Amino acid sequence: MSDSIKEDKTIDLKGLPCPMPVVKVNKGIKQVDVGQVLKAIASDPGALTDFPAWAKTSGNEILKTDQEGDDIIFYIKRLK
Amino acid sequence: MDPKLHQEMLKAISDKLTGVMQMYLDTCSRCGICASACHVYASVPEFENTPVYRAESIRKIYKKYFKLQGKLLPMIGEAVDIDDNTADMLKKTAYSCTGCRRCMVYCPFGIDTQQIMSIAKLLLIKAESEPEILSMLADVSISKGDSLDSVKENFLKGLKKIEADVVEKWKLEAGKVAIPTEVENADILYVALAGAHSIVPAAAIFNAAGENWTLSFFEAVNFGAFVGDPSKTKLILDRIINEAIRLKVKEVCICECGTAYRVMAQLSGDKPFKVSSITQVHARYIREGRIKLKPLPADVSVTYHDPCQIARNGGVIDEPRYIIGQIAKDYREMSPDPKTNWCCGGGGGLVALGDETIDFRMKSSKVKADQVKKSRAKILITACENCHTQLDNLNEHYKLGVEVKFLSSMVADALIK
Repeated sequence: MSDSIKEDKTIDLKGLPCPMPVVKVNKGIKQVDVGQVLKAIASDPGALTDFPAWAKTSGNEILKTDQEGDDIIFYIKRLK
Repeated sequence: MDPKLHQEMLKAISDKLTGVMQMYLDTCSRCGICASACHVYASVPEFENTPVYRAESIRKIYKKYFKLQGKLLPMIGEAVDIDDNTADMLKKTAYSCTGCRRCMVYCPFGIDTQQIMSIAKLLLIKAESEPEILSMLADVSISKGDSLDSVKENFLKGLKKIEADVVEKWKLEAGKVAIPTEVENADILYVALAGAHSIVPAAAIFNAAGENWTLSFFEAVNFGAFVGDPSKTKLILDRIINEAIRLKVKEVCICECGTAYRVMAQLSGDKPFKVSSITQVHARYIREGRIKLKPLPADVSVTYHDPCQIARNGGVIDEPRYIIGQIAKDYREMSPDPKTNWCCGGGGGLVALGDETIDFRMKSSKVKADQVKKSRAKILITACENCHTQLDNLNEHYKLGVEVKFLSSMVADALIK
């Protein structure tokens, strides 16, 4: 949990090579209902550019991006 | 079948019928030599796994609509209609071919099955039956090109996180930037993948060589090419070309990504800059004495997997062997002729399809696993992201007991300070 955002599902994408983090998040978002939040934990800095572009093309919303050590944590709301 | 879609599919075929393509479709004599040249058939010897079977899936449609005999007497020429079953049939043929072109080397007529499969992939796109993941990845790449300013901000944040890793591999003089971006008139624009492993070793080597380089904001991989969509392929490619032209760079260096290299080197037309693979650039640095490498201990045996798009289809064969010759004393070839090295089995977008294709990828690449095992090498080196992932999967599946490494990482780790 981060501040007021409560995730409904968490996926661990740490250590995955390109382009698997985006592939997995695309699959993961379909495992939550519309309106629910997916928490995705990546380690590769490439996710910082890939995930916003994916959210834009897939029509979902990144509510927040946190960085804790090497972890990059995305809170993504499924919009459709 | 929807008549409009039927017409669109016919037009898609018609648009692809160049003289060369018609030669590929008209010439096959069914000699069957391509069968044993294909890693899929060599690993799983079933007729559906032969290049000629794949090519026939398009050839039969071509006969039906573009050849007089097929139009008048379809039964004789085995001509088939485009119907509601076409997409299901083409999915099996198009995505069981990795586009490695080993069959083309053996074919007496030089028939390029990968080119024929480009028609199959295009028909799948028209029928909206292409792998969703590949189209999604292509769209993500294009989206990054559409909103460069926001990409830049996040990209630079990402680079900050890995700068220290670059410096750890090669210490910089005071005031020097570890990962330069937006350098006008740079000698090299390096186009990496969206991953630290593709940037850190390369940056350390550029810095060690004293190169005047700059890092591209875009990732090299072209998912438009994987999915077989020419318009998306061009959009993804143009982002990099436009950046190179804007910065007035002399050379574009493509990271360890086979498809990215082949698309930029062979499918981008005339450009005001030179195109090189990172392997070629590293070989040049060694020849010019710009970097020096410390050899591995004599008992460390290594072998090299030639990425098909860089070696057989790109001509970069001597350079990796020259580099490895500087690092390893015990080098073992897997094939007497590198041009006929087996494909890893992960190309053509299959690796990017992840778990969906893992069973097929493992079964269809047994010959590659056998080749690696036979080398008895401790380290399996390659210079392509797709190959690396697939070889890692093969290593685990077949318990090969090797360590799979990128050539650029080997070079970066061997730099003499």
